[in-house]
Amino acid sequence: MNSSLSPNMLRFLGLILGQCLLLKQAVQSVGSAYFNVLLYPVFILLLPAQLAAPYLVLLGFAAGISVDMFYQTPGVHASTGAFAGFMRGPVFMAFAPKGGFNAKDPIFAPQYVSWQTFLSVSGVFFFLYLFWYHSVEAFTFVYFTSIVLKTLSSWAVTMIFVILYAALFNPKQ
Amino acid sequence: MGRLLQLLLRNGGFVTLVFVELFCFMLIVRYNTSQAVIWANTTDIFGGRFLERRQRVSDYFSLQERADSLAAVVDSLQERLAFARYVQVPVRDTFYRVTYDSITGSDSLRRKHVRPLYEHVSARVIENSVTGVNNWLLLNRGKNDRIEPHTAVITPNGVVGIVRHVSDNFSIVMSVLHSQTKITASVQGTGAFGSLEWDGKNPDVMSLRNISKHFKDKIVPGARVVTSGYSLMFPKDIPIGVVEAAPAEDSENPHFLVVRVRLGQSMSDVTDVSVVRNLFSPEIDSLKSKIKR
Repeated sequence: MNSSLSPNMLRFLGLILGQCLLLKQAVQSVGSAYFNVLLYPVFILLLPAQLAAPYLVLLGFAAGISVDMFYQTPGVHASTGAFAGFMRGPVFMAFAPKGGFNAKDPIFAPQYVSWQTFLSVSGVFFFLYLFWYHSVEAFTFVYFTSIVLKTLSSWAVTMIFVILYAALFNPKQ
Repeated sequence: MGRLLQLLLRNGGFVTLVFVELFCFMLIVRYNTSQAVIWANTTDIFGGRFLERRQRVSDYFSLQERADSLAAVVDSLQERLAFARYVQVPVRDTFYRVTYDSITGSDSLRRKHVRPLYEHVSARVIENSVTGVNNWLLLNRGKNDRIEPHTAVITPNGVVGIVRHVSDNFSIVMSVLHSQTKITASVQGTGAFGSLEWDGKNPDVMSLRNISKHFKDKIVPGARVVTSGYSLMFPKDIPIGVVEAAPAEDSENPHFLVVRVRLGQSMSDVTDVSVVRNLFSPEIDSLKSKIKR
């Protein structure tokens, strides 16, 4: 676990800064009313495979609250990050092959679980994540249709960035 | 703090998630304007509904108390009404000035108080019958509540019966729906009066018998029937019901008329009643006994 600490910390810093300094500005210049690109949950997705759920929740919360400080939305990303940390395990279990994933795999990266599995898992993971995020942002299900539409548009754009990230950085641990 | 964290970690992701989400929820509604506004409106709506429901429940549980309180008010009003009907005969001088009140024994110009004639006691019907020829009611008041035999039982809508037997805490009332019932009643505004009886058939309709024939044209359907006041038990003008049909010749006594009276108080739906006690009844009975001898 100690050996994975450094790459995860780097990923944390890189994704948070990339999210807050680049993607935030980029989305705002295009039109944040219709969609949002939230790439930093990749940090939660690529946390060590054997990490227990409570740690995932707390680390998701830490990532979210860090983003909240830049977005000036205290609690919104923190809530979403904690939720993402909690449901990462169930989503992986839903796509696990017979007999489960290889226990020796350090992280759930395309390098270890194949691109198809990675895309399926990250697709569901980000859909749930974005649905929760837009629900908390709207804070009422009166705008349920708007929440679903925003979730779909954000998911489509975010998934492009997720694939680009996985292809460019090819994380191994 | 460290122990709390360990507890959270040991009990799995869900408990941790719940605590973290509660903390986040607090942050969201406290530091985010739009979410704070939505939350405030939601709490207003649900808080208002909650308060309204709590008030309804509270009202429901205090209904008994309010009913008792209203019954006491009705009794008080009926007593005052009875006093108002109590005719005083003042002694007047040559200039028609009242010099002495025969009832209070005082100068009524200076001392306005009147002596109570009736006392009303609230009671609840705990048993009732309407299907027989002779029907009875059981009240939850008795000797301990100053109830005596031969006292009237009424409701604001009409007469119910006469108390016949009394124990310490309960009393048995002979219903108006009884073959022996005879209550002197009059048709309001006509001067016609007679004896109210029940023929043992329709529990909503009674017969007013022994009405002189010259009232035939004066009595019209819909006219109010009230107690006549020619009785020690029932105060004057207590509502009984309305005339249902034009008077007809009484087949049992062709020299008189009979009027069908629809009762104002449905006897199958009587719950709260007032027992009316004439405070001078023993004195008047004693006086009347001298004539009988």
